[in-house]
Amino acid sequence: MRRSNPEKRFKLIVTIALLCLSVIFIMPLYWTAVFSTRTLGDVFNFPPPLWFGTNFDENYARVAEVFPPWRPVMNSLIVAVPKTVGLVLVSALAGYGFARYTRAPGHRFLLLMAFATLFFPPTLALIPFFLQMSWMGWLNTFWPLIIPALASGFGVIWMYTYIGSTVPRELYEAAEMDGSRGLATFFFVVLPIIRPGLAALGVWTLIQTWSEFQLPLVILGDGSKFTVPLALTSLSRNYFSDTPAVMVATLLGLIPVFILFALLSRQFVAGLTAGAVK
Amino acid sequence: MAPVTKRKRTDRSFYLSIAPFFAIFIAFSLFPVVFSVYLGFNDWDGFSPPRFVGLDNYAEAVGDPVFRKAIGNTIWLWIVTTGSTVALALVLAVLVDEYVLFGRNYFRMVFLLPLLVAPAIAAILMRVFFTSNGGLVNLLAGSVAGEPVYFDWLNSQFWVKPLVALLVIWRWTGWHMIIFLAGLQSIPRDLYEAARVDGVGRWSIFSRITVPLLLPALAFSVMTSTLGGLQMFDEPFVLTAGTGGTNNSATTLGMYLYATAFTNFDFGLGAAVSWYIFMAIVAVSVLYRLIQKRLDMGAS
Repeated sequence: MRRSNPEKRFKLIVTIALLCLSVIFIMPLYWTAVFSTRTLGDVFNFPPPLWFGTNFDENYARVAEVFPPWRPVMNSLIVAVPKTVGLVLVSALAGYGFARYTRAPGHRFLLLMAFATLFFPPTLALIPFFLQMSWMGWLNTFWPLIIPALASGFGVIWMYTYIGSTVPRELYEAAEMDGSRGLATFFFVVLPIIRPGLAALGVWTLIQTWSEFQLPLVILGDGSKFTVPLALTSLSRNYFSDTPAVMVATLLGLIPVFILFALLSRQFVAGLTAGAVK
Repeated sequence: MAPVTKRKRTDRSFYLSIAPFFAIFIAFSLFPVVFSVYLGFNDWDGFSPPRFVGLDNYAEAVGDPVFRKAIGNTIWLWIVTTGSTVALALVLAVLVDEYVLFGRNYFRMVFLLPLLVAPAIAAILMRVFFTSNGGLVNLLAGSVAGEPVYFDWLNSQFWVKPLVALLVIWRWTGWHMIIFLAGLQSIPRDLYEAARVDGVGRWSIFSRITVPLLLPALAFSVMTSTLGGLQMFDEPFVLTAGTGGTNNSATTLGMYLYATAFTNFDFGLGAAVSWYIFMAIVAVSVLYRLIQKRLDMGAS
């Protein structure tokens, strides 16, 4: 009993300290929400408002004078959804090929190549990629943000390890006996089994895409095509002193990822740790 | 006869399954990278015909004081963000795993929330909170000091880099914590029990058991943070509104590259800079491999 008391007190102190730290971590997000509902005067007053006000509609209207507040969200969705679906499919298909046909000629070399793509820093390709897109006439379109991103070395390696550890080899033989060929086996046998892995990779890709800034900055010139981070950056540059309006737009841009996280946080965390296992 | 045709068919299935990935990769990643080798040796503004200049671009970059300053800033940010993020995440992971009385799932999730905020958006929020006139931080400081404070954090040569670091730490600590929590699960519980029975203290358990057994996860963490740190762009770019801060005090290599190519349209110089960044990444990766090999040998 005497031993457990200081132990318990230590744990209590740790828990309270962590609780305080976690409040500091979410405070900026909380203030974003609060400020979006306050008037300009409230925001610059001390002490800062800690609870929601009633001015959201008016702030929203001021954003709407600059651009339709939901347009960046729609643009981000137009990029993120097809890219995520495509990336997950391309990665799963290649991962399946690598995991199943281990005796095909060139398997080792090609797998090594797929690994090597992980070490291609995106920075290296930025300038030539921009020039390539300009020759192809793809500047100021969404294509450069979707199609090239479908080939993800990270996704392939991840799917390769995932399929290798979750799909038993006997299953391929059984499918073969039933007359199912390579691609049919992938779509009708393998895909249903690896659904959790697909979801994890999908959530990770979606959140990454939602955050992307440098590539859209280089590719998209026309304000009506801006994705969320771009639109917010230009809004805050031009209307910086209007904090509540900036906060309204920020809040709208954050809502989709936060909903996604609320629904799929378990898959998201599973996706994070999968990378470390490798 | 039959096994041969079957073999051919499965081979074809293999190439078919990996073809989409390699086709897209070659067209949109390998081609640009090969092209950037050519770019690095040429002087080109994108309009007039390119002119071969040998290694001039590489020499020009090194001769530019802003480039050298960007190297210094990038290294500073890389080391400070990697060091503090990994250290904080490690401590948090151990505390959440071992010493928390309640709310373990809450702590697991709450530190991840900042990761959902895009770096550019996080930088906008920081600009709002740290602005000199009426920003939240100055208001708080003013209430402590008893008189209004108008300190210009964002244009301060001293403070702008720590602010960028703070942004990175805020966004990434939760991610590293999750990696470490997964690593901690793989450490057998009885090791801790045995140490405790032998009367080993908390700090010794942490430094002699936890950290050595977490080394693979730590190495992965440091490597990931390094790849991001050496290419850092979004946070300093948005936080300084694209200027790099007073006297380039927050200009990173990524920002320098962007400015040469997309502000000055000196594509050759930009390509040369991108190869310098690549070489830095390769150097760190090789170092990482070496350390990993040493660790594997130590384990066996």
